[in-house]
Amino acid sequence: MSEKPAYTKPLPDLRPEDATFWEALKEHRFIIPCDDAGKPFWYPRKYAPGTLSATSWMDATGNGTVYTYSTHFMGPSKAYKGDPPHIVALIDLEEGPRMMSILVKDEEGYPSLDPEDVTIGMKVKLVFDDVTDEVTMPRFTPAG
Amino acid sequence: MAEGTPDVKEARRMLAKGICIAGVGETEQGIISDRGSFELLAEVTKTALDDAGLELKDVDGIVTAFSFVESTLMHSTTLADYMGMKPGYFASVAVGGATAPLMAVQAALAIDAGLAETVLCVRGDNTRSGISSSGMLAMAREMSHGAYEAPFGLTTIGGYGLLAQRYMYEHDIPQEALAAVVATQSEHAALKWNAMLRDVVTVEEVMESRWIATPFHALDCSLVSDGAAAFIVTTAARAKNMKKKPVYITGIGEGFSHQYISQAASVASVRDGLGRAGRRAMEVAGITAQDLDVAEIYDSFSFTPLIALEGFGVCGPGEAGAWVLEGNAKLGGKLPMNTHGGLIRQAHLGAMHHIVEAVLQLRGEADDSAKTEFNGGNHQVPGAKLAITNGSGGILAATSALVLSSEPPSAA
Repeated sequence: MSEKPAYTKPLPDLRPEDATFWEALKEHRFIIPCDDAGKPFWYPRKYAPGTLSATSWMDATGNGTVYTYSTHFMGPSKAYKGDPPHIVALIDLEEGPRMMSILVKDEEGYPSLDPEDVTIGMKVKLVFDDVTDEVTMPRFTPAG
Repeated sequence: MAEGTPDVKEARRMLAKGICIAGVGETEQGIISDRGSFELLAEVTKTALDDAGLELKDVDGIVTAFSFVESTLMHSTTLADYMGMKPGYFASVAVGGATAPLMAVQAALAIDAGLAETVLCVRGDNTRSGISSSGMLAMAREMSHGAYEAPFGLTTIGGYGLLAQRYMYEHDIPQEALAAVVATQSEHAALKWNAMLRDVVTVEEVMESRWIATPFHALDCSLVSDGAAAFIVTTAARAKNMKKKPVYITGIGEGFSHQYISQAASVASVRDGLGRAGRRAMEVAGITAQDLDVAEIYDSFSFTPLIALEGFGVCGPGEAGAWVLEGNAKLGGKLPMNTHGGLIRQAHLGAMHHIVEAVLQLRGEADDSAKTEFNGGNHQVPGAKLAITNGSGGILAATSALVLSSEPPSAA
């Protein structure tokens, strides 16, 4: 593993019901929650939205499409100061649900993709970014 | 008036009691570093009471919001204590930018239930000068999911940007349409005595200001300000002997679409969710968008009023940008919008100032020309009788709307 500078961006606030998802990411597996009829949803919750049915996890491909994005020239905190703009995007996963992530150049994670290389509707794929020993963040990069 | 669904009939029954706004007040806005949060609230309460011709002892209900500076979980009663009140009804409302119209609804419900007769609705804060680090953190985190949004560096501006950029893509909206909202409101703010930004800006100047998060430049964004505003809700019977002509609440409505922006199903579903608030308020009032004389529409960003105008039926889907570019939202246009400058040019106090401005418009008191020390001007819409106003909390998540009228509801 290449030497990376210490990660200073915010890490996810985790509740007990989030553990399975983030543990899988750490093992470089991407799973998404689904309801008792097998319909996937996002974001992870113990009970399915709308019905409060029991939930389980399914493997997801990590393939998706950019629904929309916003290039951030200013981050939410000091940790982003001096960074190039980062592109927050909503990704429509092949399996159906829509999730938020950032778009990155390649599998190395940060820094961000060049804002000129982003379009709504572009195909992307998930990459795993091990930002700390404990946390792996899901990022997306242009597919193919 | 169409008969309406049972719940619309219930809302009309309540409002037929002649529930009205009998007094309003607003402080200076901007950077007010010499006054604290509660001090501002007491100051504006005095102004609103004086406007109505009331004394504090005449008020038996209080509805407040929240503070980013004074940490209290009992905001309304903390303020009641500060001002030396013993209210029979109290509530603190906290639904972000939807709070102000919901405060009016809360007051109406309390009056209808006999819990109070005259309710002070007051909100203010020294958000700009006095914010604590925990307040700042709360503000930054308020809009995003702690595990599935915030760690990706989402800002509130960018969250709106996500939706705005999809809206512009679907309807082929030019950047100029967003800038035209700002330019229009800057013309109005130039006339409003307490607006923070008094200079008139052009579409080009808005688009030349620095990028914050696409599609928003710095001038597309709302302000952070200190200040307070208040309105007093009572019944027509009680208002009869007060100083000012009452302005009636003739329509109320709410709409919800999502909390987190990643949960918004589509541009259309967001438009429909927030639009429901305005459409329902107009249905209760028995009017259509074409009947409106003035619109004080929540404007957290330049994009925000565009989708609301469409949701409320003033324009068709994707048509609001062209509508604003044609000058329809200007004073003298088809439906003057944010005649006080709004959150983008006057001050940010949720939708409080939108309500206060609507009341002033319907009383014919939106001419600040006499306020020479503040270089005020005339932003009155001549003969305005019907106004819509709304507030949205979160990223167009939860919306509350009011129809205000210079005349009592027809059933009253």
